Amino acid sequence: MIAVEGVVKRFGAQTVLDGVSLAVAPGEVVTILGSSGSGKSTLIRCINGLERLDGGRITVDGLDVADPRQLAQARRLSATVFQLFNLYPHMTVLRNVTLAPEVVLKRPRAEVEAEAQALLASVGLAGKADAYPAQLSGGQRQRVGICRALAMNPRYLLLDEVTSALDPEMTAEVLAILGRLAGRQMGDGGTTMLFVTHEVEFARRISTRIVFLDQGRLIVDLPTARFFADDGGLAHPRIRQFLSKMAPSNTVAGAEVTV
Amino acid sequence: MRHAGFTWHDGALLAQGLGVSLGLFAGTFLIGLVLGSGAAVVRHFRVPALSPILHAGLELLRNSPVLVQLFLVFFGIPALIHQPLAPLSAAGLTLSANTAAFVYFIAVAGLDAVGRDQVEAARTFGFTRMQVVRHILAPQAAAFAVAPLVGLAVNQLQVTSLVSVIGVMDLTKAGDILNLRTLRPFAVWTMVGALYFAAAKTLTLLGNRWERRLRAHAAPLEL
Ligand SMILES: Nc1ncnc2c1ncn2[C@@H]1O[C@H](COP(=O)(O)OP(=O)(O)OP(=O)(O)O)[C@@H](O)[C@H]1O
Ligand SMILES: [Mg+2]
Repeated sequence: MIAVEGVVKRFGAQTVLDGVSLAVAPGEVVTILGSSGSGKSTLIRCINGLERLDGGRITVDGLDVADPRQLAQARRLSATVFQLFNLYPHMTVLRNVTLAPEVVLKRPRAEVEAEAQALLASVGLAGKADAYPAQLSGGQRQRVGICRALAMNPRYLLLDEVTSALDPEMTAEVLAILGRLAGRQMGDGGTTMLFVTHEVEFARRISTRIVFLDQGRLIVDLPTARFFADDGGLAHPRIRQFLSKMAPSNTVAGAEVTV
Repeated sequence: MRHAGFTWHDGALLAQGLGVSLGLFAGTFLIGLVLGSGAAVVRHFRVPALSPILHAGLELLRNSPVLVQLFLVFFGIPALIHQPLAPLSAAGLTLSANTAAFVYFIAVAGLDAVGRDQVEAARTFGFTRMQVVRHILAPQAAAFAVAPLVGLAVNQLQVTSLVSVIGVMDLTKAGDILNLRTLRPFAVWTMVGALYFAAAKTLTLLGNRWERRLRAHAAPLEL
């Protein structure tokens, strides 16, 4: 379980996370929605230990990320997929995927490579193992980013706007993979996902729960169906406003949504 | 005026001098490479006390003439320790430290040029800071640094000629001796110059090949 308890994060005088609490249990697919600047990325960066907390506590399966030793352990349990892919440009696609399992988990190379090849094949990149990131399209790069994360066999997958740097076609191909992953993992104690996305429809389709961040405060935390109910999440003016801006045609006030 | 012709012995003298120059260059460049990159890693980790001290020292070395450094070591150190210092040792010490200073600034720039985002990614996957340096930063910093390092190498090779001043029997010193004996400066210094040129050119060619290998990932699409 990822447990975020009363987390405060400031940048200078600006309080970016203002007492955020959130629990993600194994098997859940939780989506974080919120407008730009509400602190979504910062929250993810606090969970994977890239930011130092100014208050509160975050634990991953009981490991406190504020403690360097426990953070090192916690980082083996979760893996992050980044908005801008953050691949290692000097390494081949295969090496990008195998590096962490080999170096961090100290697993034998042959075994890791076989797994990586299978992962790449599963996202349609079988022929690209020896290419360098610069030789791939954005969608292909993000698929490598997903394989790199999955190669760690993480209990928790953290995804921060992983499609927002992609055009619609590439977005669709990456979301298809994530949808498959979510569908396969949901409820079976496998990879649990914490998503940040602006793809509201996608979130609605794959999430078990949706939380809404507003100016550093987590104002709503509801099961997906309740979140989109008139007397649930949509009762909040901020959320209505947000959804009408995101996808004006089909998300407001319980309108029928085609998935 | 008495002219002496060139003999086989002269060839041997030049070859020996070239050997000393190349050996001195290779040895001090290697040591400088190790020390300079080491110092850059120390700076990367912001090691308290050590990192600013190294930075200040290397800055001093980079911004003063090698000849002055050479004199300081060759004449200054013996005066301090009350023991003579062999010319070759003084030369080795000076050139190693001087190379380290230039390598340091090249390596620092190389490390700084690597994108922070990959480093963050690696950290979230559980790499230690040292593992990040080894697998992510160093290879890319090296790729950024090869071109300036090759330039530095060519320059440091030429700079070795300064050590003839304190009596090291390098290529320049051999030319000097030959010149005094034959009194044919134009022929002698042309020959010496050509040998330096050949060595420098070889270095550049090797460096370019190395650079192509390190930059393989940035090669144009081959799809
Ligand atoms: N390193 C930083 N230094 C200073 N301020 C920062 C830093 N990182 C984020 N912020 C500020 O914190 C606030 C929240 O940023 P964050 O990136 O978490 O928002 P977000 O919800 O992810 O937004 P978006 O949807 O645009 O990605 C913003 O106002 C941002 O300017
Ligand atoms: Mg963000």
